[in-house]
Amino acid sequence: MGWLAGIILLLIKLGVVLVVLLTAAAYLVYVERKLLSRLQIRLGPNRAGPFGLLQPLADALKLLTKEDLVPEGADRFIFLYAPGVVAASALLIFAVIPFGRGWMFMGHEIPMVVSDLNVGLLYVFAFSSLGVYGVALGGWASNSKYSLMGGIRGVAQMISYELSLGLSLVPVVMLARSFSLVDIVAAQAHYPFIVLQPVAFILFFISAGAEIKRIPFDIPEAENELVAGFHTEYSGMRFGLFFLGEYVTMVVLGSLVAVFFLGGWRGPLLPPLVWFSIKVLAVVLVLIWIRGTLPRLRYDQLMHLGWKVLIPLGLINIVVTGGVLLWWGS
Amino acid sequence: MPGEKNRLLRVTEGLVALIQGFWTTFIHLFRKPITEEYPEYKRPLPPRSRARIILTRDPDFEERCVACYLCSASCPVSCISMQSAERADGRRYAAWFRINFSRCIYCGLCEEACPTLAIQLTPDFETCQYDLLTLVAEKEDLLVDHGGKNQEYNYYRYAGVLVDGDKGGHIQEARPVNLKSNLP
Amino acid sequence: MPQLIIDRREIEVPAGTKVIEAAARLGIIIPRFCYHPALGSVGACRVCAVKFLEGPVKGVEMSCMTAAQDGMVVSTTHPEAMEFRRYVIEWLMLHHPHDCPVCDEGGHCLLQDETVSGGHGLRRYLGLKRTYRDQYLGAFVQHEMNRCIHCWRCRRFYQDFAGYRDYGVMQIGNRTYFGRFADGPLESPFAGNLIDLCPTGVLTDKPARFKGRRWDLERAPSLCLHCSLGCNITGSARYREMIRVEGRLNEAVNGYFICDRGRFGFAYANHPERARTPRLDGQEVTWEEACRTAAHRLTRISREYGPGAIAVWGSTRSSLATLGVLQRLCREQGWLGPQFFNSPSRERKVKAAISRLDAGVAVSLADLEKADFLLVAGADPVNEAPMLALGLRQAWRRGATVVVLDPRPVHLPLEFEHLPVPPGGIDLCLDLLVRAAVSHSATEGLLPEAAAAFFNNLSCEYPGDQPLQDRLVSLGMKLKESKNPVIVCGLDIVRESTVVLAADHSRLLRAAKDRAGLFYLLPGPNAFGAGLLSLAGEPSSPSYADMLAAAEQGRIKALVMMETDPFRTFAGQPQFLAALDRLEFLLVLDYLPTPLTDRVQFFLPTTTVFEEEPSGWVNQEGRCQQAAPIYVGGRPISQEGAGSHPPRVFLAGIPGGEPQPGGQTLAALGVALKGTGAPLYLEELDTWLAELNPVFAPLLESKVTHPGVRLLPEARGDYAFSHPNKATLRDVPDDHLELLLVDWTFGTEELSGYAPPTQEVEQPPRLTMQSRDALRLGLGPGDRVSLALGGESITLDLEIVENMASGMMVLPRHRQLAGQKFPEGPILVPLQNIHKV
Repeated sequence: MGWLAGIILLLIKLGVVLVVLLTAAAYLVYVERKLLSRLQIRLGPNRAGPFGLLQPLADALKLLTKEDLVPEGADRFIFLYAPGVVAASALLIFAVIPFGRGWMFMGHEIPMVVSDLNVGLLYVFAFSSLGVYGVALGGWASNSKYSLMGGIRGVAQMISYELSLGLSLVPVVMLARSFSLVDIVAAQAHYPFIVLQPVAFILFFISAGAEIKRIPFDIPEAENELVAGFHTEYSGMRFGLFFLGEYVTMVVLGSLVAVFFLGGWRGPLLPPLVWFSIKVLAVVLVLIWIRGTLPRLRYDQLMHLGWKVLIPLGLINIVVTGGVLLWWGS
Repeated sequence: MPGEKNRLLRVTEGLVALIQGFWTTFIHLFRKPITEEYPEYKRPLPPRSRARIILTRDPDFEERCVACYLCSASCPVSCISMQSAERADGRRYAAWFRINFSRCIYCGLCEEACPTLAIQLTPDFETCQYDLLTLVAEKEDLLVDHGGKNQEYNYYRYAGVLVDGDKGGHIQEARPVNLKSNLP
Repeated sequence: MPQLIIDRREIEVPAGTKVIEAAARLGIIIPRFCYHPALGSVGACRVCAVKFLEGPVKGVEMSCMTAAQDGMVVSTTHPEAMEFRRYVIEWLMLHHPHDCPVCDEGGHCLLQDETVSGGHGLRRYLGLKRTYRDQYLGAFVQHEMNRCIHCWRCRRFYQDFAGYRDYGVMQIGNRTYFGRFADGPLESPFAGNLIDLCPTGVLTDKPARFKGRRWDLERAPSLCLHCSLGCNITGSARYREMIRVEGRLNEAVNGYFICDRGRFGFAYANHPERARTPRLDGQEVTWEEACRTAAHRLTRISREYGPGAIAVWGSTRSSLATLGVLQRLCREQGWLGPQFFNSPSRERKVKAAISRLDAGVAVSLADLEKADFLLVAGADPVNEAPMLALGLRQAWRRGATVVVLDPRPVHLPLEFEHLPVPPGGIDLCLDLLVRAAVSHSATEGLLPEAAAAFFNNLSCEYPGDQPLQDRLVSLGMKLKESKNPVIVCGLDIVRESTVVLAADHSRLLRAAKDRAGLFYLLPGPNAFGAGLLSLAGEPSSPSYADMLAAAEQGRIKALVMMETDPFRTFAGQPQFLAALDRLEFLLVLDYLPTPLTDRVQFFLPTTTVFEEEPSGWVNQEGRCQQAAPIYVGGRPISQEGAGSHPPRVFLAGIPGGEPQPGGQTLAALGVALKGTGAPLYLEELDTWLAELNPVFAPLLESKVTHPGVRLLPEARGDYAFSHPNKATLRDVPDDHLELLLVDWTFGTEELSGYAPPTQEVEQPPRLTMQSRDALRLGLGPGDRVSLALGGESITLDLEIVENMASGMMVLPRHRQLAGQKFPEGPILVPLQNIHKV
């Protein structure tokens, strides 16, 4: 009976997480457009529903009803499944993120995480890297020069920033002495890691921003040069999947920042879930703010920042953290 | 090292600029949006705004268009087509004249190219249709009964081609040469 | 060979070359208005000024008036020269009416180009503009004299180059006027070239007036099909309609110019009655169905009555591909034919002509202009192939003697000897002339054996006309002096022996002088190609008449008519239609709206030379040239919209775009007949043709490029003289007149007969006879006569002239007489059949 309850519980958790995540992603679009326009002294969407609140719905309807075009000469199979890779890998990362303290229910403790993997952090890396396959394959399969260049840029950017992303989290693991995200949150019981590791936080924030290809790191899309980069040839819901992937990753990124540096669901007074949401939202809002402020980096600037600044900084940070831990420990 | 110092300075300047940028956008959050909401408020457009195209008439109420094809030649999207023809009195005119507004980008090059001031752009831009073919305008749809931005100009008073009457009757023209006379 | 430097580039040019031409060879185009390579220099416009920096001439000079000399250093972009040219253009524009928007030249106007490139934009002169009244110059040329810049090109072409006098220059100085003394149509059949030559909009194309700007036209190099000369043209189409035709430079054929028939006869392609959809039993059907049904019916007839029950007619106005596929289809299926010529004697003449042409003796129109003695036997150049007349004039301007042996009242724009002898006498005249010219070589034993034998067989007297004989002998003396004689032979009215004799005589002259040319005029633009196929198709196909008789007797059950209109030159319409009614299956393929296309049950449309695919055509000297397609075909938009705007619809195809090139249609039919495994008719056509007749081999080796590939055998030393049975002089009984059916510049040629501009200038058919014959019949000038022919009679105006052979009547093969019954062969009309009405 235990395993049956386990499965039912898992399915419920999956369902809830999925619904919440997708809705969040959809409304994130709205939030982003609204906030962005206010940052630019505009009004933003205000026609669909009160305050334009139904805009995400309208967008979804539009995307679903649009014609699904496959360009001539495209590698049909790859072209069709590439957007799925992007969306799925983004969604799957959320599986290991703890979003609250465990519940006691009928004598069992229900952990507020879909799956508490002991190598959670590696899993996160694995899936965030997997997402780039969608970009690369989609770009290549489109049989369009813009898409191909976008795809190639995406891969190059991902390879460069994967390193600093990994390096920035090594100190966190060293502090928490675990790869499990639940344990990392647990390790921040007294103070969040942002206090101990401000450099790692900044490194992670920048690298993760590059990882999800947002302004100022959106050269794989680069509208002014590449039309729309890797998803130039996509239309309808397949484009929607790319879009969805991007906003889910934003939420995921917010969650990861919260988990690694802001103490996860921990916080005074308010329930853990609310704290978690607040932290995620704060990260997301900062991301939007960045988008509203910074211009896109040039390709060489991007590479320069990744290889010559972030990676050396990450390495130094590891050495310093290790040294301090050694000294502290002794 | 001076280089190092410069670099430090540059990093500091960069950081300050970053913060300034973020501050600027942040301040914007609290400003009143400058957006004018279109269907509720329609801004009066200047007369030289470029939208719907018309064919005007000269002061004699004749069609100004002589179907010289210059507008269609200058049109970057090839949305103007016509057929020139000769009227009984020798005047050149457009037998048909068609502008495909679904292609038109309202760049105004046709108006610049027009030697007779016939084709002009007007500020009337609300021309959306659901059926593309209804956006194809024929001469009847384009022709208006006024001179548009210039009510005075009449091309045929300057160009020395004969429409009716004798040669030499246009602006700055001498009487025709008498071939059968040696008198100067 | 002077060497000079132009814009820091060195070039060596032949002595006498003008600097403007030397610069052109370097690719530097100096501005010019009055200079034209064909018309030479005159120095009237002053716009080709360049700066001579070093050498025998110094300072700013006209490059068209200065011959290139050693040591010259020329700058075309020197500030002084540029300044000079800028002022010249401003002067030229002083009186210009500034009417480019309503001027048809706008868009390809030399004055426009030079004004813009010269930098002149605003008229600074405040005085009045000089104006002229315009003239009516006929249906072809529009006159707008205010635009004139006095370059003199028109007068120099019209009077000097073409040799007509009715258009010229009046007044002086600033008042100089180019036009006619009074309004009236231009007399020259080359007047259309004024349109190409005029650098501004004074003389513009009237039929193409206000039809479109140059930049909107679809243009491609094409060929003129209105006679056998194969002149090169540039065709322009717009909105699926042929708009205009211009001459295109081919130095080996027509030079820069074309005749008015070629320039304005193209409109048959736009004919509103042209059928453009496949039609089966009065119903429009798809191509697939049409091909399937045609193949099915032909197969059935072939199975029931044998393949010999299917006869095939072609014509000489089809492209080489069409003719070739037609021939191949007949060979494979065992059908009767194809017969490309509408009369057996014409077929024999064409075969005789082209089998006697070789690379050594055949001359092009350009070669002909360099000849110094031109013997024109049985040809009326202005009427049969107008550009030949222009060629003859150029030869005459270089000092050549032109002798015309022809019974017709021949007019040429040059001074020539016209000997109006009857067709039967042309042979004798040729004999006498050439005999007088080569007798010294013969007596000195300089002729090879075969030539000497031929010489010994020549007639030596013209019975009953001593003055003529003396004249011939004296002309023969002139021929003796010549170094490069050319015999021009028409095929139309001459006896069959004359065609052979012309070839033999050219060989004899060649034997005596090392150099002699032969130039035939053939019936139809691709008569040479059709003749080559016919030659290879021995035994020759039965004639139209034989096939029709067989159809009447029920031996022929099916007839395929490929781009041919037998009504025009063949027996009367009612009998013909009656014979056709007895057929079980009649398939007509054509691009013209012939009387047949409406009547037949089964019709497949084909394309004109201007549409769809490139096509090859072999002109009368064996030069295969290619005509590029100008537009994709389809019904003209002006007809779709009936003058107003075209219909507003989305369409996937082209309205009226169904016609396919004849060759493709036949190939599709062939595939439908044979099913799978049918040969690649079009792809392998050149190979097949080369196997059929080795002279087609050059088509295999290279693409047909400008200026064309000659399909001629190599010159051989052992020419076999034919010793034909010469025509007898008096082959017409005294109480008969021979009726010669002849061509006119306008009105008789088939294609241009469907073109409104040329219809407009054609004259109604009239009967021409010599004054002595008219006197014999008691007829006077201005009479209307009726002519009874084989039971029918036609009524025409009579024209009486002096300069034609007696015992003859001349009647144009006019389109208004099409469908009339004319007997085969020389037509003899008893005197009592000619009445005054």
